[in-house]
Formats: sequence, C-alpha cells, structure tokens
Amino acid sequence: MRGRRLGPWLLLAPALLALFFAFALPVGMLLSRAFTEPGSFSTLWQTPVYLQVLGNTLLISAVATPVALLLGFPVAHAMAHGGARLRRLMLFLVLLPFWTSLLVRSFATIILLQRRGPVNALLLNLGLAEAPLPLLHNLTGLMLGAIQLLLPFVILPLYAVMRRIDPGFMRAALSLGASPAQAFWRVYLPLCLPGVTTGGALVFISMLGYFVTPALLGGPRQTMVAQLIQEQVAQFGQWGLAGALSLLLLVAVFLILGIAWRAASSRSVTP
Amino acid sequence: MTEISRRRLIGAAASLPLATPALAQPASLRGTTVVFASWGGAYQEAQRRAYCDPFAAESGARVVQDGPMNAARLRTMIEGGAPDWDVADITLDFLYAGSKDKLFEPIDKSVVDTSRIDPKFVHDYGVGCIVWSYNLAWNTQTFPGAKAPKTWADLFDLQRFPGKRCLLDNAVANFEVALLADGVAPEALYPLDIDRALRKLDTIRAQTVFWSTNSQAQQLFVDEEVGLGLILNGRAYDAARKGAPIAVSWAQNIQSVDYLVVPRGAKQKAAAMRLIDTMTRAENQARVANMIAYSPTNPAAFAAIDPAIAPWLCTAPENARQGFVVDAGYWRDHQRAALERWTAWKLK
Repeated sequence: MRGRRLGPWLLLAPALLALFFAFALPVGMLLSRAFTEPGSFSTLWQTPVYLQVLGNTLLISAVATPVALLLGFPVAHAMAHGGARLRRLMLFLVLLPFWTSLLVRSFATIILLQRRGPVNALLLNLGLAEAPLPLLHNLTGLMLGAIQLLLPFVILPLYAVMRRIDPGFMRAALSLGASPAQAFWRVYLPLCLPGVTTGGALVFISMLGYFVTPALLGGPRQTMVAQLIQEQVAQFGQWGLAGALSLLLLVAVFLILGIAWRAASSRSVTP
Repeated sequence: MTEISRRRLIGAAASLPLATPALAQPASLRGTTVVFASWGGAYQEAQRRAYCDPFAAESGARVVQDGPMNAARLRTMIEGGAPDWDVADITLDFLYAGSKDKLFEPIDKSVVDTSRIDPKFVHDYGVGCIVWSYNLAWNTQTFPGAKAPKTWADLFDLQRFPGKRCLLDNAVANFEVALLADGVAPEALYPLDIDRALRKLDTIRAQTVFWSTNSQAQQLFVDEEVGLGLILNGRAYDAARKGAPIAVSWAQNIQSVDYLVVPRGAKQKAAAMRLIDTMTRAENQARVANMIAYSPTNPAAFAAIDPAIAPWLCTAPENARQGFVVDAGYWRDHQRAALERWTAWKLK
C-alpha cells in the first residue's frame, strides 16, 4: 500500500527535482529580490508607465486569444474528423513551425507583410487595396505575427479533445430533431470546451511573455511587459524592479486564469 | 616551428636570473589561460583573429573565447568575487556605471601603451577598442543627388522628405537626434531637455518606424520600408556592400565606444593587460576594420585600412571632425528615468 503510493512520486522525482532547481528556485530568487531590494514596488506604483505596459500586455493577450481560437477551431476540426492521410499531412504542417526558431519566423513574417512584400503585392494586383496597407509595426502586424506563431498551441489541444468525441453524439442529436447548427452549439461545442480552455490558456500565457515578436512586428504602442523586464535586468541590473514586475504579471495571470477556469468548469459537460 | 622554438628560447631566457635585467621582451605566458569575453558573432571572430591570436602567438598564453557579453551578468560575476572573464568588451555606458561602482581593475599604463590611442577613448579603467556612430542614412533612389537629406533637421522635414522614416526604439541617441534637429548645438545638448525632444518627436511620430535590433534597421533600408532614418554606420556599410541604394551623412554623427576592461578580481590580471596592449596596435585595429568595418581608436590604423572601407568609419579624420561622442556620464545617471519617459511616450 505504502510502496504503491510512493511509486508515482519516485517516478516523478527526477523531473520534480530538475524543475525545482532549474525553475522554481531561480524564479523564487528573482521574485524575492522584489522584496529585499528597497524601492522596487514603490517605483512600480509611482511611475505609471509600468502598470500601463502591464495593462497593455493583458489587453493584447486578451485580444489574441479568441482570434487564435476562432482560427484554430476549424483546422482542428478538419484534422480530427478528416481522413487519415489528411490528418497526417495537417499534423505535419501544424508541427512544422516548431522546428524553426521564433526569431526566424518573426523575420519571415516581416518579409511577407512589408510594404513591398508578397501580401501587399497580391492585394494591389487584385485591386483590393489602392496603396500598400500598413501591415507591420502596428497592432495588425503584431497580431498577424503572434497568432501565426501561437496557432499550434490552440490546434493541438482542440484536436486531442475532438478526436475523443464520439461521432454518434452528433448523429443522435440530428436524429432527435436538432438542426445541424443546434447540434453543433448544444452538443459538439460544449464537448470541446476542455480543449478550448487549455488552448486558450496556452495562447494567453505565451502571449503575455512575448518579447521578440512585439519588438519586431509591433509598433510603439505595442510595448509588452516582458520587454521591460528584460530591459531592467540586462540593461540596468535592476533585479528588484524586474522581480516586482514579474510578480505582478504572475499574480495577474493567476487571477485571470482562475476566473476563466471556474467559468469553464461550471459550464463544461463530461461525456 | 621556428616560432615555437624561438618562444621557448625566450621563455628559457626569462627563467634565468642572470638574464632578467637585460630583458627587453616581456615574460612568456606559456601555461597561462586568458578568458576573453565579447558579443559573439562576426565581431568576436574578428577580435579573436585581430587581438587574441597575435597575443597568443607572441606571449605563449592560451586565449579562451567566451560570452555573450551581458552587463548584468558581468556585474553579478564581479560582485560574486570570482569573475570568469579576464578581458571583457563592454559598452561606454557600462564603463561609466562600472567604474563608479569600482567593478574594474585600473588600466596598468606601464603595460598598455595608451599613447597609441586617441586620448578621448582612453579611460582609467578601460581602453576603447572600436567606435561606432549613429548616422542619418537615406535611399539614394528615393532622394537622389541634390535631393538628399543632410542634417538631422531633414529627418523631421515631412514636406521635403515625405514617406516613412526610422529611428531607434530607445532613448539614447533618439533624444539627441530630436534636439539637434530642433536646433540645439552638440555642446549644449546635455543635460537633455527631454520635454523638448519628445515634442519634436511628436511631429514625425506617425511617419516613423522604431527599430529595436541593428539587423532590423538594415532590413528597413534594404527592403525600402523607409526612405531615410537613423542607422549605425557599420550596418549602412554592410547594406551598401550588398547592393542596397543607401548613403549616409556624417553631419553631427553621434558616436559611442566599446571598451576593453579587466573585471575586478580577474584571475589573470597581468596577462589581461598585455592582451589589451595587443589590441591598441595599429595593425591589429586595422584588421578588425577591414573584417567588419568598426572604426579604430588608434588613428595610425588608417594606414592599413582598405580605402573602400575608410569613408564609412566614424573615426576617419573627416568624419570624426563632424561627430561627437555621447555623454556617457549623463546617460549613466539618467538612463532609467529617460527610458521611462520614452516608454510612456510610445504608449501615448
């Protein structure tokens, strides 16, 4: 009995130890500097710019998450319910971006979206735009770039959940008189909710920590908190202020995820 | 082979007590390992070939390359009491911050011949190794011949120079540029009037792209995203070399410097000073300039610099005359507050 309970912990021990020393301990040390270095929090409260950037970061992430979900949902659906060959091909295509560096992909996005890039050339040739559209160095550029990078994080959890949904449920709903739309809204979508929550949370959290992409694709207004944290550490060696900013970000994330989790779990249906 | 045996001979001679007073050559450093830290990439490779290899060949020491340089990391190492690095390449602002906090060993001027270096790049705690400058650059097809912009004021002139332009996403250099464009003389810049700089920046904000990395700045010009703007001289040279239609103005070019320092408590202090001395030599500095177009701090280096590269270097006499070095003391004391103002302005 005892051995049985201990077993899983023993198996987890190497991973937990690695996590503790490589993650929890250094993060804990950084956060603690916020309290040991005097003036870290007072700088945050007294200089509005830090809180402004934090709010900005939360807002950008909150906009990116539903857009990524909307774009990822049909892809995951096609993967989950399409043929085996299509599924393999799509899975390969979704995973492909993971094998290239974030920096390379951000620069590739710049090439696509720039004023004389292929996207603008296409729009001009099709007569959809009179002059090249400003797709870079603004919110549009950041969103296009970031969501493209984050899509796998939505698609994969949704796909995993959708694969497990018994197609019989939809057939049953239809045979009982539901319209296809009703069957989707009242049967299929609620069953997908765990995937939506996981995918949404992954996108939201990753977006909060983004720092290369906003610097390259965003404009001046799209300054995000990770850029400020990096600046404080690398440029000024202000570990205390960086720690305080990180702590604030962490608290904001926990609060928002806690609320989202509660909302989702109260509505999710277990098949 | 003969090299090695000669070095062995010198080493043997140095160990003889009788030979000591007559020694013209410095002692062999055979068996010593010196750690050199810099910024990686093509720059550190050029430094390895131009300073470290000649130093190793002459002294017998082994030089290990490390990095990438990061001011916060170096500070933490030094304050921890046992820095891993013996010689470090740092930026001007960290030289000023670090010498105030006593993070570096004073330069031993009996070993490092600082007389070879332009005095404005010699500091008690570091010796300048390269200089770079922020310049106004433009697309020579968009603004050909007499239509070319010349001064920082032109960068703010939307009538004569319409279209997108670029500045950098930082307070340093941007504030100087805005104030120079607004008519402030270089010698009257500091302390910076930040309110005035931001008001000037307001006038071109909607037309300006703010770059955050040097490769991004280069890309903005190569892809013709911008018609004019601020770029580093080395990056403009690289773009021009690769065929981009780009030219730079040297009027009021804003210069900054990289210094070699010896971290306080470095294990090989004496050898580190000798490595820095190797850097000061004209022929070694010319090698760096020829490899990656960073400007030398030893004026004699120009004798050995490719005449195609020299006009792009900010310490070339004609260019140096028109430029000035940023006030590192000002930036050390005001950078954080200035950056807060800059970030607030960006969010506006």
